[in-house]
Amino acid sequence: MNPSGDLWRDIADHFSDGKAGPDAMVHRMTAPPTTETRDCDLLHESRTRPEAFAALFDRYSGMLYRYVSRRLGPEVAEDLVGETFLVAFDRRSRYDLSYPDARPWLFGIATKLVSRHHRTEAARYRALQRSPAEDTVENPEERVVAEVTALTSRPALASALAGLPSKDRDVLLLIAWGDLSYEEVARSLGIPVGTVRSRLSRARRKVRAALGDTNPMHEEERPWTT
Amino acid sequence: MDDLRMLRRFGEELEHEPPATLARQRQRLLDGLSGAPGRPRPRLSRWTLGWAMAGLAAGVTAAVLVAPSVLLEGLGRVADPVPSPAGDRPAKPNGALNVLLLGTDSRAASPSAGRGPGARSDTMLLVHLSANRGKVGVISIPRDSMARIPACADPAGTPLPARTDMINSAFATGGLSCVWKTVESLTGVRVDHALEVDFSGFKGMVNALGGVEVTLPEPVNDPKAKLRLPKGKQTLNGDQALGYMRARYTLGDGSDLERIKRQQRFMRALAKQAGKLRTDPARLSAFVAEAGKWIKTDAGLDLATMQAIARSLERTDPGAVEFVTVPVRPYAADPNRLEWDDSAAKNLFARVRNDTM
Repeated sequence: MNPSGDLWRDIADHFSDGKAGPDAMVHRMTAPPTTETRDCDLLHESRTRPEAFAALFDRYSGMLYRYVSRRLGPEVAEDLVGETFLVAFDRRSRYDLSYPDARPWLFGIATKLVSRHHRTEAARYRALQRSPAEDTVENPEERVVAEVTALTSRPALASALAGLPSKDRDVLLLIAWGDLSYEEVARSLGIPVGTVRSRLSRARRKVRAALGDTNPMHEEERPWTT
Repeated sequence: MDDLRMLRRFGEELEHEPPATLARQRQRLLDGLSGAPGRPRPRLSRWTLGWAMAGLAAGVTAAVLVAPSVLLEGLGRVADPVPSPAGDRPAKPNGALNVLLLGTDSRAASPSAGRGPGARSDTMLLVHLSANRGKVGVISIPRDSMARIPACADPAGTPLPARTDMINSAFATGGLSCVWKTVESLTGVRVDHALEVDFSGFKGMVNALGGVEVTLPEPVNDPKAKLRLPKGKQTLNGDQALGYMRARYTLGDGSDLERIKRQQRFMRALAKQAGKLRTDPARLSAFVAEAGKWIKTDAGLDLATMQAIARSLERTDPGAVEFVTVPVRPYAADPNRLEWDDSAAKNLFARVRNDTM
C-alpha cells in the first residue's frame, strides 16, 4: 500500500502499456482535477465540516458515472454513483490522508458496489457478444464512433469480459477503463501490487486469446455455455 | 492494436454521459451530510430514499384502496381538515378524479436542520383515477423541482408571497393546501382532493391490519434491519414489515431498484390485506383508529364522497397502477436542483386533464 520502489516500476509499466502518446485522449474520462484543493484536504475538512464532502461529488461523480455506465449500463449507474458517495462519506474518517488523490478510493468503493450486480454485468456482456452494435448504440453520434472502431472485435471482447472471474475483471477494467495505475488498483481493492499484476496478466491473456481467435465462440472462452 | 487499447475503445462505445438527473444523487448526498458536524448519520441518509419510496407506495395504496375504506368510518376523527385552495382554479372537464398525495415522515424530520415545521414532504404524488376507473396513473413530482409557488397562507393564516423555490418548500411553509394550489397552478389540472399520509405510522398500521402476508423466495437474515425470517409464506408484523421494507444489503442484489421492487411487492400484499377489511368490521375500526392518526385530508373528502370513490374502485386492479415521473432536467440557475421539462410536462398533464393517460 505504501508508495515504495514498486511505484516507479509501476509507472514505467503503465506507460509501456501505450498509455502515453496517441491514447492520451482516453484520459479525459479520469483526468485529475485542476482545482487547487487536494482531495485529501477536502476529506480532512469534511471530518469537521461535512458539507466539504460535496466538492468530491462535483469532482468525481461524472467520472464514476461513465465508468459504471460502461460496466452496468446507464439504468443502474446513477443510483450506484449516489450510493458510492454515501458509502464514501460514511467511511471518510478512515481515509488515509497521506494519499492526495481520492480516485482510487472512490473507484474501489464503486467496484465493490458493482460486484453486487455481477449478474447484470455478465448479462450485459453476453448481450453485446450476441447482438450487433445497434442494440447498444442509441444516437447517431455514438454510431459514428462505433463504426470507426473495429466492430468485429466487439463480440470477442464482450465474450472475454463475460467469461473472466470477477476479481480479474475488476483489475483489468480499473486499469483499462478506470485509468488507474497498478499501485492505485492495489490501493483501490486492498490487495498487493503483485496480485494486481498477476490478475491483470491472466485477464489480458484471455482477452488476447479471444481477440486472436477468429471464432469468438471458442469453447475455452465460453464457460457460461448453456 | 494491442488488447488494452481495443478494450479502451470498446469501453468508450459502452460509455454513457452523466444524465441531468445525476444532480439528484448530489441532493441525496447533501441530505445525508446535514447531520451534526463530525457525526455522520449515513444510515438515516441511506434510508431516506427508502422511506420516500415506502411513503410513495404506502400513499398510492392508501389512495387507491385503504384510505377510502378507512375514511368511510374514520372521517369524523380526522382533525383539522385541509381547506381547498382559494381563488381561480382549473376547471373540472370530466369525471376523472385527481388526488394529490403527500407522503411525509415527521419522525425523520432532520433535527439539526432547524427549518420549517416538523414534518417534511418526502414524496409528492398526483394520483389520477380515470373517469371509468379502469386506469390509475401515479405521477411522481420530484421534491427538489424548482417551481413558481403562488401566494399562499400558512396554516395560521399569515399570507406568504409568491416566489420561485423548491416545490416541497410549499409544504414546509404553507402546508398541504399551499402545495395543492401550487400543483394546480403548475399543471393546470384540477386537483379534486388532497391527502397527507405521515409514514411514521406505518408500523402501527400494519399491526392494526393484523399483519401482512408475504411469500419470501429465500430466508432473510439482516442484522442491520434486525430481521430474521424463514423462507416461504408468512405474516409479518409491524416491526418485521418495517425491517423488510428497509433491508438492503442482505436481500436481492442490494440496490435501491431491488428494494423499490420489494417495497412495491409488499405494498401490493398490504393492499390485498386491506381489501379484506371490507368484511371484517372489528379489524376495520381498529385500523381506522390507527390510520386516522396519520392521515389528513381536505374537507371535501366527506363520507359520501369516500363511499362513492371506494365503490367505484372496487373492480380496479391494484396491480395495474402505472407509475410515471414528471420529466425534469437540471435547473439552469443551480444544477443541484431540477426543473420541469416544460413541453414534456405540458404533454403529460394535458393527458391527465383529458383523461387519456
